[in-house]
Amino acid sequence: MNPDILDGFAQASMMSSLIATGIGSLLGLIVGMIPGMTISTGIIIVLPLTFVLEPTISIALLLGLYVSGMTGGSFSAILLNIPGTPSASATGLDGHPLAQRGEAGRALGLAITASFIGGMVSFAGLFLIAPLLAEVALRFQSPDLFSLVFFGLTIICSFAAKSVIKGLLSAVIGLMIVTIGQDPMMGSQRFTFGQVNLIAGIHFLTALIGLFAIPQLVDNFVELIGDKKTRYEAARIERVLPRWADLKRIRLPVSIGAPVGAFLGILPGAGGPIAAFISYDYTKRVSKNRDEFGKGAPEGIAAPESANNAVTGGALVPMMTLGIPGDPVTAILIGALLIHGLAPGPLLFVENGGFAFGVIFSFMYANFFNIVIGFLGLRLLVKVLATPNALLMPTIALLCVIGSYALRNNFFDVYVMFGFGLLGLAMRWLDMPVVPLLLALVLGRPLEEHLRVSLAASQGDPTIFFTSPFSVVFLGLAALSIFWSFYAEHRSRRPSDGATRQ
Amino acid sequence: MKKFTSVALGSAAAIALIAGAGQAKAEWPEKPIEFVIPFGAGGGADIEGRMIAKAMSAELGQPVVPVNKPGGGGAITYTYVKNSKPDGYTVAWNSTSILTTTNIGNVDFDYKALDHIGQVAQQPVPLVVKAGRWKSFKDFVAECKAKPKTLKLAFAGFGSATHLAGVAMSALSGCQPIMLPVKAPDRRKMILSGEADAAVDIFFVPLRLVKAGKAQFLMVSSGSRNPAAPDVPTAKELGMDMEFDLFRGLSVAKGTPQPIKDKLEAAMIKAANSPDFSGRMKKLNLTLKPMGQKAFAAKLERSNANIVAIMKKAGMYKSKMKK
Repeated sequence: MNPDILDGFAQASMMSSLIATGIGSLLGLIVGMIPGMTISTGIIIVLPLTFVLEPTISIALLLGLYVSGMTGGSFSAILLNIPGTPSASATGLDGHPLAQRGEAGRALGLAITASFIGGMVSFAGLFLIAPLLAEVALRFQSPDLFSLVFFGLTIICSFAAKSVIKGLLSAVIGLMIVTIGQDPMMGSQRFTFGQVNLIAGIHFLTALIGLFAIPQLVDNFVELIGDKKTRYEAARIERVLPRWADLKRIRLPVSIGAPVGAFLGILPGAGGPIAAFISYDYTKRVSKNRDEFGKGAPEGIAAPESANNAVTGGALVPMMTLGIPGDPVTAILIGALLIHGLAPGPLLFVENGGFAFGVIFSFMYANFFNIVIGFLGLRLLVKVLATPNALLMPTIALLCVIGSYALRNNFFDVYVMFGFGLLGLAMRWLDMPVVPLLLALVLGRPLEEHLRVSLAASQGDPTIFFTSPFSVVFLGLAALSIFWSFYAEHRSRRPSDGATRQ
Repeated sequence: MKKFTSVALGSAAAIALIAGAGQAKAEWPEKPIEFVIPFGAGGGADIEGRMIAKAMSAELGQPVVPVNKPGGGGAITYTYVKNSKPDGYTVAWNSTSILTTTNIGNVDFDYKALDHIGQVAQQPVPLVVKAGRWKSFKDFVAECKAKPKTLKLAFAGFGSATHLAGVAMSALSGCQPIMLPVKAPDRRKMILSGEADAAVDIFFVPLRLVKAGKAQFLMVSSGSRNPAAPDVPTAKELGMDMEFDLFRGLSVAKGTPQPIKDKLEAAMIKAANSPDFSGRMKKLNLTLKPMGQKAFAAKLERSNANIVAIMKKAGMYKSKMKK
């Protein structure tokens, strides 16, 4: 056995490293839960500490934060229907209905369990076949990434709930919003109206907070001035650990979510949200309990949660093997290590193999801490639901303002957040689904960038999208996905049409 | 004796107070200083900025707090600092972006709308290719000339420093590549995967790939060779009349009192030369080159003229400065 592996394991298992991982996990769960506080924000908060700590300890702290941040995002999505991170918005689709039925503990338990499995699957990939995966990641070029993101966009249709048309409209609004800001190729300003703050475009997290939190706050307010009972019942917990029956039910969704997440994690730019939504969508299509989705199906929690946590290990693959970050968080991790003169990449395994494997094992420990701290904190977390609205609402409102400011330290974003709140209310009034808009906001930028870089490289020849097998496969899947959505809508409408006629 | 000194000090302070605001400001800084970084967390600007902010805190005796205000190639940060109170409590961590984002017309002012304290460090812009693809810059240019509009050259974004260096290099060598704007990490991936044939990049991050034998530098844009890559020729040695460096330093709002600027300058230079900071810069292979207000002003003027000339030639000059 490679002595570096043992050395790395020893480094990651030192008491100081373990404590750091645990603290990181705790912080991650907290920042993940708070809407607008992202994992990146959390890492920036502890970054000054990593200047003075040993590199092994710094990275353990940061990895704990990374892994648990992904899980923490789902807590607020389940409990409050306000996703803490974009990756968690798919989890809220079934998690919140389940919590509303009074089974918040069960929903959280499922999310934590699925996160753990997803994380460990990606750890296995990282530990065993990282160089191979990195090779695959390099094969994916701009046209392939465009087709992948395009496929991700087409799954919007299946989140359109009642009407495919309204879902598509919602997505188009999202794509239109994405065009605000600097043109990615020419640098010219689009729809900025001379406003400097719009040059960088609208941050999708600002939009996410506004779209989800403001309508929820309005709801709670209505509830508050209406009748006051509702919430207290929701907080009861029968048991914390998931039942055997539930574990059996999440076998299928987890075996879809974990590999999808780990795979999409290695591709730069795809990341958590798309992995979560693709695996949710696919699980829904193959599941026996299709009709339960959206009403609190355990499968609907397990699929996206296993996927978004598997993304973390996936994103570490290109970082560790090539020195290229898989997502914004790993980009900051590389920065934090550079300060110590340790650059992740091919050279690290040669020059400092013990440390490199230490990073990988710290990632494994982070997943263990995530599940342990998650379950220990679960009873406390559920109390959030028991908090009287009069206390909970102002807190959430405050966090939304702080969160949207903190993203770019720009107060302009707070106004934008409120603007999206109004948009969210209007869309609800029109019975338009919000999720397609959110997905379009997340995917719009990479879609445009990959499209235009591909076309620039091919000198405007669109056949470039059919020259690589990956691209062709994804375009085929996209076509299938669109066809399926219309077919499913057509099929579900027929009987109801008959019913109205009778 | 002790009492006497304190009385003397006290009366001296009183006289100073009466003497006016200029003297009172000698006590600057009385509160934490906001240190605005124009780019996002984790990038080169952020890493270096956080390190110098920490070193400056020690010099000034007040926390220097790094805050990222990314967007518009620095436009948001420079606008924010330009509009801040000229009291030295809001400092921009500037870079070559202060010359590019202004001349490309993202904002309606030029670099002279701010006062500049000085430079901390600089790095060259290298031409990066996959290891083993070409032996030398000459081979690269030969292939590029033989097959115009086929080789793909990646750079950071339209109007950015790497773009300008790429444009200047292409024009001077007579090479006609396809220009691809690609964000930083993806740009390095594109070189390794062969999707792009070459990239104009910052120096110290891809240097790791070069040391690992995965990538290769064909030239650097600076006036002299870089000690971290001594075998790589400069643009001038290759017969191209260009000198291009990415610099980072400090700027404050226009009209900041001279004593405060002097104090910032002294703290910046002391912090830059501190063993901790200079040691870290050496580890990162960044060239530490602190310079004060005068030298930096001259450098900015030179670099600005250079950038305006490249932009005008390429039809990118769109300064919206109110004349």
